[in-house]
Amino acid sequence: MPSAWDLWAVLIAALLLGWGWWRVFGGFPRARGPAGVLAARELAFLAAAADATYPEGGSALPSGTQAGIPAYVDRYVASVPSTIGFLMRLLFFLIEHATLLFAAPGGGGRRRFSSLNAEQRSAVLEGWGESSWYPRRLVFSSLRAILTMGFFSDPAVLRTLHLAAKRIESPVVEADLLYPAVGAHPSTIAHGPEDLGSPSGVPLAADAPLHPDHADPTG
Amino acid sequence: MSGSDRGAVRVFAEYERDFTEQADVVVVGSGPCGSVVAYELAARGKRVVLLEEGPPFTPQDFELDGAFSMSRTMREAGLRTTRGTVIPTMQAIALGGGSLVNSAICVRPPDFVFEGWEENFEIEGTRRADLDPHFDAVEAFLGIAPTPDEVQGQRNLLFRDGCDALGIDSEPIARNARGCRGSGECFTGCRSRAKQSMDISYLPAAIHAGARVLTSLQVQEVLTEGRRASGVRGQVVEPFSGRRSHRFQIDAKAVVLAAGCMATPILLSKSGNLANRSGQVGRNLQFHPGIAILGVFPEKVDPGFGATQGYQSLAFLREGFKLETLWAPAAVLAVRFPGYGHDLKTRLAEVPYAANWDAIASCHRSLGTVRPKRGASLDPILTWRFHSEDAQVLGGALYQIARIFFAAGARKILPGVYGVPGEIHSIEEADVLRTHRYAPTDFVTASNHAFCTTRMHGDPAKGVVDPRGRAHEMDGLFLVDTGIFPRCTSVNPMFTGMALAHRSAAALADQL
Repeated sequence: MPSAWDLWAVLIAALLLGWGWWRVFGGFPRARGPAGVLAARELAFLAAAADATYPEGGSALPSGTQAGIPAYVDRYVASVPSTIGFLMRLLFFLIEHATLLFAAPGGGGRRRFSSLNAEQRSAVLEGWGESSWYPRRLVFSSLRAILTMGFFSDPAVLRTLHLAAKRIESPVVEADLLYPAVGAHPSTIAHGPEDLGSPSGVPLAADAPLHPDHADPTG
Repeated sequence: MSGSDRGAVRVFAEYERDFTEQADVVVVGSGPCGSVVAYELAARGKRVVLLEEGPPFTPQDFELDGAFSMSRTMREAGLRTTRGTVIPTMQAIALGGGSLVNSAICVRPPDFVFEGWEENFEIEGTRRADLDPHFDAVEAFLGIAPTPDEVQGQRNLLFRDGCDALGIDSEPIARNARGCRGSGECFTGCRSRAKQSMDISYLPAAIHAGARVLTSLQVQEVLTEGRRASGVRGQVVEPFSGRRSHRFQIDAKAVVLAAGCMATPILLSKSGNLANRSGQVGRNLQFHPGIAILGVFPEKVDPGFGATQGYQSLAFLREGFKLETLWAPAAVLAVRFPGYGHDLKTRLAEVPYAANWDAIASCHRSLGTVRPKRGASLDPILTWRFHSEDAQVLGGALYQIARIFFAAGARKILPGVYGVPGEIHSIEEADVLRTHRYAPTDFVTASNHAFCTTRMHGDPAKGVVDPRGRAHEMDGLFLVDTGIFPRCTSVNPMFTGMALAHRSAAALADQL
């Protein structure tokens, strides 16, 4: 027969476990990304990390979330081999929850990264990025690389920085008569010898029309 | 091209059952080295079957986005890294191999590189003069020529100006490109169809000459009869997903492995530790670690325009490094910008005024290994240690790049190296790059030049192949990728690999 102390101990342990679970996994928004690969908690972390890395204002460039970084990373994780995707998600988990063990500076710093205020998030990123311990810097640079790829996927960013791709008409070369698009059957090859051309060698003009994927949809 | 000629290429959608084929020669890998061998042998009337694990890419398959492009054209989504000292290194999985997504640089190594090979590895007949006829043949076939000024763009020409101001020799980079338009898209696939990657140059010629090019086939084992290589077998793999389906076997009089310096040793290991009495298969892995610096100029550079890599300096090869201009998808380059938050955004706003130049270092002291993973995959376990003395060489290269930037008029540079200032505003401040004692982990470096994992050596006890790429202890087995280099080339390796492959093809044709 368990004593009253035993029951109290079990109850306290259960409460502590529940509290711990909530601190790690609970309280996230329910929304999921379009591809639905990442969990809501991972998207919430990515939104926080994206805006800490690319905050709103300060230049004509958008913020991380305005640039669509969380949705981009969601699609990207879905596109890579599952082992690599798992490691990426582990990376997100590590940074999101590291502040539960190593508190961010300031009051209430022992919370998840996505629950910290903007100053605390900056301080945490600085800690990772400027650490004298190489593996910590590696974690930071890996996260920042992923976020940066998402930032530069935004056509508005590319147009602002004069890096948007130009429209290029690919001439038909002999190889185009041999190979179909990836996954297609050779019977889908639409070109014939009469279509053959050659690269023009004419430098792209600075004001050449943009590739449709990078052009401003508002004109 | 007639409809019947299309039968010389097979793609994933055409495989409906297990199959077996016969050939004089089966070539594994369609990168620069394998493609040269396939063409040269087919042109000599040999029955050639070339196998490639990746699919052919057409312009409509190219992704503009750097990350998604890598995840489609590279093994392990382009995110492969070494253990030990962590360095990203990529290997293409596409018809044409790395030539589809490299910047088409073709440089002949200087004499002293080959003299070093000869002296240290008991290799005969492989001086520069011995190889020049083979370089000439490849150069003529691909139309290799210096990058024209009209498509250089400011990013490249400023490098020339800086070198000129300092009296440092520089030159436009010779490339396998015809009709370049300066789109700077070499790394994501040339939409202008100017780059003469293997899929649009050597391979169509090989097919014309009668070669059969079978894509989406993963070779899993080299077959042997006694001490002779007799063919290969493996499975069909679906593009991108890598799902395996039908089985195949190619029986041949000779097997040529051109799967790259990472996959060839794994294939040998998985084929019963083939050709490895020397114990050198998978050892001696070397890289050309590269480091890039951003420089910001007072006037607009518009770095998005211009040949991906248009100018270089070979002036410091004896010191252990080569300097180049560099462009890549913006997302990839932006990873080098230091910091985060508003500081980072302010720096990114300067991109239109920035140029990016890099150094690659010859790191003979930094060695690693390639080992197989479990299962059928040819993806490797890589281990590599960046030697501290080689790190100092890379640091010396940083200082030279800084000199060139300031001589060209840059108002600041962003070295992106731990332990030195994030921004440097004058050549005097840049002196820290010369005096700093670098740790190997200070650099954010990368390398797609990899060598030596099946090295050639005159002594069969110390190497895997002879200078013609013939396996020392097997008949009918040739290795022709950069794995056979006994030591790195100090310059971009593609052209050397192709010249050696050109010579190997002649040796193999004589043997058949």
